[in-house]
Formats: sequence, C-alpha cells, structure tokens
Amino acid sequence: MSVAASIASGTLGGRVWFYSNYHCNLRCAYCLTESAPEVSRRELGKEEILARGREARELGFTAFGVTGGEPFILEYMPELVSGLGAELPTVVLSNGTAFNERRLREVEPLADLPVHVQISLDHPDPDENDEMRGPENFRKVVEAVPKLVERGIGVRIATTLEDPDAVDPEERERLCELHRSLGVPDEDHIVRPIINRGRAMTNEMGVLAGYEQLDPELTLTADGAFYSPFGPTVRGGRLDTDLLVSRTTSPLREPAEALLRIAESRPPGHDTSIGIN
Amino acid sequence: MTQAAASAPSLVPLVEADQAPILARPYFPAAGPASPLTASLAHVPEILEVALPFVGRVLGPTALDARTKEIVVLRTSALMECSYCVQTHTAAALDSGLARAQIEALRGEAGIEEAFAAAGERALIAWVDEVALGRGAVGEEVTVRAREAMGDPELVELTLVVGATLMLNRYCTALRLPTSAATLLRLAEEGLA
Repeated sequence: MSVAASIASGTLGGRVWFYSNYHCNLRCAYCLTESAPEVSRRELGKEEILARGREARELGFTAFGVTGGEPFILEYMPELVSGLGAELPTVVLSNGTAFNERRLREVEPLADLPVHVQISLDHPDPDENDEMRGPENFRKVVEAVPKLVERGIGVRIATTLEDPDAVDPEERERLCELHRSLGVPDEDHIVRPIINRGRAMTNEMGVLAGYEQLDPELTLTADGAFYSPFGPTVRGGRLDTDLLVSRTTSPLREPAEALLRIAESRPPGHDTSIGIN
Repeated sequence: MTQAAASAPSLVPLVEADQAPILARPYFPAAGPASPLTASLAHVPEILEVALPFVGRVLGPTALDARTKEIVVLRTSALMECSYCVQTHTAAALDSGLARAQIEALRGEAGIEEAFAAAGERALIAWVDEVALGRGAVGEEVTVRAREAMGDPELVELTLVVGATLMLNRYCTALRLPTSAATLLRLAEEGLA
C-alpha cells in the first residue's frame, strides 16, 4: 500500500509532526522532553522543515504539526508556520507565553491560513496551573489568547491532566468557562492525559503508552524520525529511542515507508487511544 | 599478532532492550542482552535491519561449511587485531570443529604449515592474508593456488567473507565493542583467552 493510500485508509496518521527545537522558556513538571531554557536547542531548522513539508504534501500527508520545546521562542517561527500553512493545515503547540506585541504583529498573517495555535492551560486557578507549568504562566496565557483570537488566529486550548476522567466536574466547568471567556469554543478545547515519559516518568506521573496505544504519526526531529510525537522524549538528559523509526529523514519517503511497515505490522486489536492534539 | 583485551568501555552506549527502536526489536533476544554488535547498530535502525541480515547471511550457514568460513573470519580478525572478533570467533571456531592448534595458528600464535596439512586450506589462508592485508591485486602465486583450491562460487563467497569481516573488524575495534561475558568465560575455560 502506498503512503497516500495508507493515510486515506487510516493506517497512517495524516499529520507530520516537526520538533522545531527542544529548548523552552518553561520547565513543566510533566514535560515529555525535559525542555528548559538551558537544554540543547537541537533545532530542526526552518529550511529543513519547509523542504520536508513539501515532500510530505507530495506523498499524500494532509496536515502538519509543530512542537518542541517552545516553537515561538524561535525568531523564524511565524515565517515558518506561514510557509507550512500555505501547504497544508497546521497546528503549532505552544505554551502561549512568548506573544509580546512584536510577536503578535508577526503572527497576524497566520489569520489568513489554516493554522491553529494550540496553547496549554491546565487549571482554572492560577496557582494550581502554575504549580505544574511555572510562575506567571496562567497570567501570560490568559493575556495572550484573546489577543490571538482578536487577530483572527485560530486558537485551541490543550489541558493536560494526570487523570482526565477523575477531574472534578465543577473545576472542569470553571476551566471551560474560562476558555470560552477567552474566545475559544468548546470544540477547540482538548483534554488529554499526561504521558508517562520524559520528566513525567521521572516525577512518576501519567499513563503508560507504548506504540500499541499511540497513533502512527510521522514525527521528525533533529535526531531522526519517530513513530509518534510522543516518541522523541528525553529522560535523564538521554533521548529515548524505543519509538525511533530511522535516523534518515530525507528523502521523506524513507521514514514514511518505514513507519508504514511498522503500522501494518502492529498486532491485531491494537488499541489506539492517545493523541497529542 | 597480539589481542589486547577490550578493557575500555564501548565508545557508544549499547542500546538496551527497553530502548530498542521498533525495527530493531526483532534482533534483540527475548531474554538476556543483545550482542554488542546488535546493541550498537540499534542506534541506526534502518542500517541495522539491513546490516544484520547481511552479516548473518555472509557469515552464517550457506553452501560453504562453517569450518571453512571460520578459518576466514578468525584469520582476518587476527590480522586486523580486532580483539572482539577474535574472541567471539575463537568460540565459533571451536564450535565449527577447528582444532585448538589450528585456532592458535590462525590467531598468529603458531605456524600455519604445522597446523594445516591440507594444501587447499593453506591456499585459502594465503588468499585471506593477501586480501586482508594487501594493497592492489593479489599476487600471482597466491592467486594460482587459490584458483586450484576453489571453484568460482567458493572464491567469490570466501572473498566476500573476508571483506565483511574486515568491515566488522574495523567497526568493532573503532567503537571498542566489549566481548560478551559468556564468551570470555568460555575462552578462559578453554585456555584460549
């Protein structure tokens, strides 16, 4: 089966993920990649991402995702996302704390493209939110989201929880009221579990997820191609390789076909239930 | 030729089973550690899944008998002073039926003429020596002896075995792959450490 046919049939996820970088201005307690200000950047690079993106479209992929690290601390991120969004629908995962006035002006062209910025917000109370994500995170997010929405940019809110099924309904409703008040409708609010990899594993948080539980979504990093955006995690400063597909990322057909072989060989009855967006 | 023990740790971390990439997992044993060759190649799974079947096919069972192949592999490895390969293939040579004296001769610790009576095997070893260590074409006299001792398919395959072994010798030596504890224990018990 070709890559395009496998995407059409659902065997392969249609979205290609790019880990633009690994460094971040925050140090979240459950971060999959142990991202922090001082870690190695390991940038994939704007031209590399755009080139692989063009290949991905030709192969039949249907969407892009950009994550990190914090993508928007890279100067060229607005330009990069514009380039990706001109090819295919794109979602960028962000902590939402890097949108100063200059940055807001730079992302304005994204309003005309099929681009969403997916911003993390875990709790309706600032203190509890910031306990996991760092000081001032809540304030910066609730300031940034309306400004993005006002500019016509698609915004999603992602809430990451230890156990999404166990959350207090009242607390959940307050969170939903909050994102609605910021201009983000319910259909753009994603609630997902913490994955027990990276710093979450160190801190004994989250749910276990092997490749049997994850969607096969081609994920490119500076270290190679992975099975899922949950794959290129870091623990104890060491990159996890259990979900590495190949070090080769170009031509994109190579990791795409390797991922397809893996997806087709998954045991019958596999239970895919966890997505990053 | 002396074989220094692999005392330094591996130059690259050996990938453990729980970190084995999906495409590399079939090459990891269900229990116990993978070979250092497998565990190092697992850093690049797309190479591993080509290299290990290639190595397994060239060095593993084919129309040629295991004893002949081990003569080639052990001799080449000794010439290249690859302690990992010499130790690993000393054990394999014992399993293939090579006598202790022949193993010592192949390792350069005794004379070939005394250990190998058959002219064909001596011709093979001379061929291996020139292919492994020589530069340019193999000398005429060694070539004539090899042609007399081997048919075309044998000459092709055994020359490829030398080449594959040379690749592994330099790979294992440069990356300082450690010989497995089980192999070292066996060699100690056999007095061939």
